[in-house]
Amino acid sequence: MLKVTNLHATVDGKEILRGINLEVKSGEVHAIMGPNGSGKSTLASVLAGNEKFEVTEGSVEFEGEDLLDLSIEDRARKGLFLGFQYPVEIPGVTMANFMKLAVNEQRKFRGEEPLTAAEYLKMMREKAKIVELDTKMTSRAVNEGFSGGEKKKNEIFQMAMLDPKLAILDETDSGLDIDALRIVATGVTKLHTEQNATVVITHYQRLLDYIVPDYVHVLYKGRIIHTGDKSLALKLEKEGYDWLINEQQ
Amino acid sequence: MQNAILEQLPTLHIALDRPIEGRSEQLYRVDDPSCLELKLAADARLKLLVVRSQAATSRVQIELGERAELVLAELFVADAETTVEVQQGAESRLQLTSLQLGGGVGRYVVNLMGAYAESRVNGLFALGGAERSSLTIRTNHQVADCRSYSEVRGLAGGEAVGRFDGMVYVAPDAQRTDAFQQNRNMLLSEKARIDTKPQLEIYADDVKCSHGATVGQMDQEAIYYLRQRGLDEQQARRLQLTGFADDLVMRCGCEEMCAALLEALNAKLNRI
Amino acid sequence: MQDIEMTMAKENENDILQELTNREYEHGFTTDIETELIRRGLDEEVIRTISAKKEEPEWMLERRLKAFRHWQTMKHPTWGHLDIPEIDFQDIIYYAAPKPKKKLGSMDEVDPELKRTFEKLGIPLEEQMALAGVAVDAVMDSVSVKTTFRETLKEKGIIFCSISEAIREYPELIQKYLGSVVPYTDNFYAALNAAVFSDGSFCYIPKGVRCPMELSTYFRINAAGTGQFERTLIVADEGAYVSYLEGCTAPQRDENQLHAAVVEIVVERDAEVKYSTVQNWYPGDKEGKGGVYNFVTKRGLCRENAVLSWTQVETGSAITWKYPSCVLLGDNSVGEFYSVAMTNNYQQADTGTKMIHIGRNTRSRIVSKGISAGKSQNAYRGLVRVNAGAENARNYSQCDSLLIGSQCGAHTFPEIDCRNRTAILEHEATTSKISDDQLFYCNQRGLSTEDAVGLIVNGYAREVLQKLPMEFAVEAQKLLALQLEGSVG
Repeated sequence: MLKVTNLHATVDGKEILRGINLEVKSGEVHAIMGPNGSGKSTLASVLAGNEKFEVTEGSVEFEGEDLLDLSIEDRARKGLFLGFQYPVEIPGVTMANFMKLAVNEQRKFRGEEPLTAAEYLKMMREKAKIVELDTKMTSRAVNEGFSGGEKKKNEIFQMAMLDPKLAILDETDSGLDIDALRIVATGVTKLHTEQNATVVITHYQRLLDYIVPDYVHVLYKGRIIHTGDKSLALKLEKEGYDWLINEQQ
Repeated sequence: MQNAILEQLPTLHIALDRPIEGRSEQLYRVDDPSCLELKLAADARLKLLVVRSQAATSRVQIELGERAELVLAELFVADAETTVEVQQGAESRLQLTSLQLGGGVGRYVVNLMGAYAESRVNGLFALGGAERSSLTIRTNHQVADCRSYSEVRGLAGGEAVGRFDGMVYVAPDAQRTDAFQQNRNMLLSEKARIDTKPQLEIYADDVKCSHGATVGQMDQEAIYYLRQRGLDEQQARRLQLTGFADDLVMRCGCEEMCAALLEALNAKLNRI
Repeated sequence: MQDIEMTMAKENENDILQELTNREYEHGFTTDIETELIRRGLDEEVIRTISAKKEEPEWMLERRLKAFRHWQTMKHPTWGHLDIPEIDFQDIIYYAAPKPKKKLGSMDEVDPELKRTFEKLGIPLEEQMALAGVAVDAVMDSVSVKTTFRETLKEKGIIFCSISEAIREYPELIQKYLGSVVPYTDNFYAALNAAVFSDGSFCYIPKGVRCPMELSTYFRINAAGTGQFERTLIVADEGAYVSYLEGCTAPQRDENQLHAAVVEIVVERDAEVKYSTVQNWYPGDKEGKGGVYNFVTKRGLCRENAVLSWTQVETGSAITWKYPSCVLLGDNSVGEFYSVAMTNNYQQADTGTKMIHIGRNTRSRIVSKGISAGKSQNAYRGLVRVNAGAENARNYSQCDSLLIGSQCGAHTFPEIDCRNRTAILEHEATTSKISDDQLFYCNQRGLSTEDAVGLIVNGYAREVLQKLPMEFAVEAQKLLALQLEGSVG
């Protein structure tokens, strides 16, 4: 599904990613861990097409196509979803209007008819249940005045609405209390199928109690320095990153 | 201008010799009045939409009796010039929305003359090309215990120039005044210009007065976020404009009026 | 029961009010020294006399005459939120200098009467100044009396002297910079000042030099019926830094005295200038009689990466009219304006700033705290302008007003004129009063109403006071407390 080869990227001339190699297949769950500033969020942003970052070397293939050639929205329409670490507030624009537009854009892209109002409302009600989101939230402006937990639930709600092939969740667990974490993580697990894939970026092992990864990668100074299975996350939680970093040097 | 909702509205005919009485739920319209005098008797209620489709000068004088309620909107689709003066009696309520979609000059002077009167005067201009808008809102708190609330938003693209001149005046002894004034603007193009003066003149100490003004641009982070969800850049921008402008119009105080104004606004936003 | 207590508290407050409003202007004394005056009135002859007394070169006289001729074509401005009585410009003495008995060689030779004046003012002109690290160019009326630390400064190549001396000794610098930021055509009082200025300070910090001490000028109006028209010019050359303090006082007199100063600051590339003012000119008496008319033009020009920061505490003068401004010409330059303006009794103030964004990535910040008491009128007036080429300009303005008593006025007249879409500009303003709850709370904790008001006002002004150098901050706090405490009723 996704094949990242020797990916280098810079921001303001500073190199953050220094040769990432990563392959994600359908049905897989990958976790990316690593100390602060290792480039985890940058990787997510680059894959989503954030124009702040410049790709200087390497390639990314998504569903057999060159991802780097596509605009931000076309990547999204093809099924790449980024769950933002800091979801953006958009004053005055209601969630319901925003999602309707997004869902129908995706349908148009796939050559499908737009949803009727009734179909859309039904879909919204169903999907909201997945993350125990009060449907009243959908009449509020996008993320405006949402609590930290509500913002993250809202990201997973949108993921459910858009049904992506590949979901990259950037620190979706940060700032969540234990109940919200359970709801968000269970939501992600419910959405996971053999046809899609999930990449979770996280600092903490606790998220991985719910979302069980097939692979755990450790990112350090813009490179993946180690890959293991879910037991690696437990070891990292206990022993930190030093042993891996020392191994490097 | 095509506006299905507007077409259906009945025209208001006013007998000049006596004040309007009774509470009406009907929304009326008046087209390009050059001179309009409205008197609402005590406890009366009226909803009125004034359409300005000619580049002409006009003067509107309004008197609200005690507890009278007026929901008024002025829709500018041409470069018209109006002066609207309102005298508000005790406990009266004014909800005024000025929507400038083709440039124009709107001067609104509200005199709060009776205790517990409340005025809400909102304005929005959405400009493109070489259009020029000037919106002046002066709220005079002449007596104690009144409230005023004023929100003005400006969108300027092309080579448009948008001006806001706001003044909240609190007379000596107009104690316990509660006044709020906010002005937000978005510049959409390189040559557009915004000139804003949100002013306060206060002669009483037991008051709650504040104002704010901002000039900014489209939020690039928000555009990125929207595009990540599959909207193209055009849609993302348009959605932000909608978010910026719509809710002000939606607070105009009358659903039908709101629908008519939104239709006109949407048509304009598509062209900026 | 509670009501009775409240009434008693109110009565108490009234006593305190009575007591404090009766406090008189602390600096209201006159110095009995021989003063050299010229005749009343203004014409070309007077200007020639001033120029001659200052032993100025011909080009300077020419400049003055040009400014005077232009001034004659101008009208007194009326746009301020001020009630200015008509000023008879022919009834003013435009030059007054204390007559030195002989040339002064050292500190000991300074006229003891004059020294006592400075001591009363609390100016540390004597030896302890060395310890305090303050260099003072004290201006009494129009002539620079004594400049200290010139030698120390000279070693670094810093020039700090009276403007008259600079005209004689550094003509090339003066010709290059004088009038370059505030031309004589700028406004009515700038033109008048350019024609008749009698003295002031000149400061030049050479390239890359960080001025090791805070430079300070004390202005004081002494002679009756004289106007003070000082002219200050500060030039921070590339990469230089200086912090400059200006303090003003005036003796108590029944008639109004006119003060129309011009301050010009040139901040070259990578340089930084901090300009702090504590202004407590005589504000007039409780009935509004007398007091200084303070009509000042202050402006600085910032080149690339330059920083100019204005801080002012305005408590004096019958009428204050001044707008220290920044022209942000160079890319990445920064302008700041921090102001506390306090008015009491019949004082009027119309003060604020202009931030003109011309260069790219220019930033400005405005924090204005107005405090109105008595029957005074206090207005903030500001302009933030972003020109078409000023990409990514940023401004944040905060203008707060505090009203003490119900007979004063607090006004806010800001303008934002934005011609570049990449700019982000924010303005906020609030109006408040000292609430009974706040006072009650403080009283309950054992503070007198007087102390509570001082505390609350100083807290309110804190953000600005913090920007002042230590010695000034203490003085400013005292001034605020002194003039405000009694205003609560």
